[in-house]
Amino acid sequence: MHHIVLERWSRGASALHRLDPRAKIVPLLALLAALATARHALPEFSAAVFAMLCAALVAARIPLFAALARAALVLPFAVVFAAVCWLSGDPARGLALALKSYLSALAVLTVVATTPLPVLLRGLELLRVPLFLLTVAQFLYRYLFVISEEAQHMRKAAAARGTPARPLESAGARFRAAAGALAVLFARSYGRAQDVHRAMLARGFTGRLHPLFDLRFRPADAAFAALASLAPVAARLAIERIR
Amino acid sequence: MDVAAVPAVGYMVRRAQRGFDDAKVPLLGVMGAFVFAAQMINFPVGIGTTAHLLGGALLAYTLGPAAASVTMASILAIQALVFQDGGILALGPNMINMAVAGVLAGYLPFYLWGGGRWRRASIFAGGVLSALVSAVLALAELLISGVRMPLSILAVSLSLFLVAAVLEGAITVAVIGALEKIQPNFVRQPRQGRPFALGAAALAGLLLAAVGVLVAAAAPDGIQKLGIQTGIASRAQALFSTPFTGYQAAFLAAGWQRKTLGGLAGLALVYGACLLFGRAVARKRSA
Repeated sequence: MHHIVLERWSRGASALHRLDPRAKIVPLLALLAALATARHALPEFSAAVFAMLCAALVAARIPLFAALARAALVLPFAVVFAAVCWLSGDPARGLALALKSYLSALAVLTVVATTPLPVLLRGLELLRVPLFLLTVAQFLYRYLFVISEEAQHMRKAAAARGTPARPLESAGARFRAAAGALAVLFARSYGRAQDVHRAMLARGFTGRLHPLFDLRFRPADAAFAALASLAPVAARLAIERIR
Repeated sequence: MDVAAVPAVGYMVRRAQRGFDDAKVPLLGVMGAFVFAAQMINFPVGIGTTAHLLGGALLAYTLGPAAASVTMASILAIQALVFQDGGILALGPNMINMAVAGVLAGYLPFYLWGGGRWRRASIFAGGVLSALVSAVLALAELLISGVRMPLSILAVSLSLFLVAAVLEGAITVAVIGALEKIQPNFVRQPRQGRPFALGAAALAGLLLAAVGVLVAAAAPDGIQKLGIQTGIASRAQALFSTPFTGYQAAFLAAGWQRKTLGGLAGLALVYGACLLFGRAVARKRSA
């Protein structure tokens, strides 16, 4: 699956990887806010943001073109609406839509590709995002691949029994068969969740996940956070002043 | 919208936390993973076309609305963070549309009539509503934020959403039916005998509100006035940052032929994009 790429990137060892997650989340928010509210001189500002993000990716030793291509995954949806704007006589708005969605995705990708997800979620927790939501998200991510694999096995098993090859049955029967497969998948997931929960209780789970790492916000982190948060804002102010 | 999403999701999280002991966390997480995986199982509809489950209503019927909201919210967050799907700027509105409004709208008919004779119908209606409300809200937000859509495109996308919503309803009914055969206590049993009229009124109100939002959004004059009064528009505008200035003039200057042409071309583009995307996904999956 394609997620593994991101997982591998996030295990790098560059200076950017070693930063405290909070020192990356705060500048990300600043960048997103600056980007979302930018109106004048958007192409120039976008170019500046793009250059900054590319520099960060290169500094983190992440393959640049692969990262750029990955961020483009966000585009299909945005481009459709951008095209609608364009065709109904407002190319600037369409361009803004596409630029903003691509750059915001690239910014998020830069942070996620330099921070392993457990560390990132821990950073969000320390920034007061509800713990319950984060824990659920962490479990979701943990079991995503397990359950997906189970679904793939079920598809394969169905294919082995000749399901997609020749639809002898009526559409209604195949619809019911798919519903049955989904219900079985639901029951298995539910059962697995209960097993996981019992196993965790047996190991002393009290409703909190304890991270096995310690986060410390060092002066270097603070300096990076301040600089990286100010950079996009300063760039935007400068560009808008020039225009 | 991001600003509005924070308290709404926060409230649902609080509700879910109260309703569940913390120990239920694994259940919500694994069921979120299930919704992801459920997209791999295709339902045949028509010739060569397939659909898949969105899951909001199904989760609400099995886990309860608050827990379903939290699960959907974390699904959306993981999608935006890890899979570059949906976009981070749209995460707030998406959470409102799908995790809060979609789940609640989907649960309403079931909550009202799920215990009585209308059980199957209410499950179906819930599935339809959950998808439809999310879609209509998303469309309205796009319109409010200044994306101009010719009426033709709006009508076509609405009817496409309607078809998708009916499919979601049908799939939800089929899956719930199969689930009840496997193990009846998976699905919640709402109390019987809620007054029919009250429920119908609530539902009608919901529909009216959805339509109202859309109409208001499609008529920019009204929403602009409303937006100035409430400050909603400025917030929504910040999303895509699209000043209203010069909006109407440009709109009027564009002749109807151009609009119609734009609409048709846009439609063809949407269709082509969907087709290509579908092909690519299908090829990847069968490989």
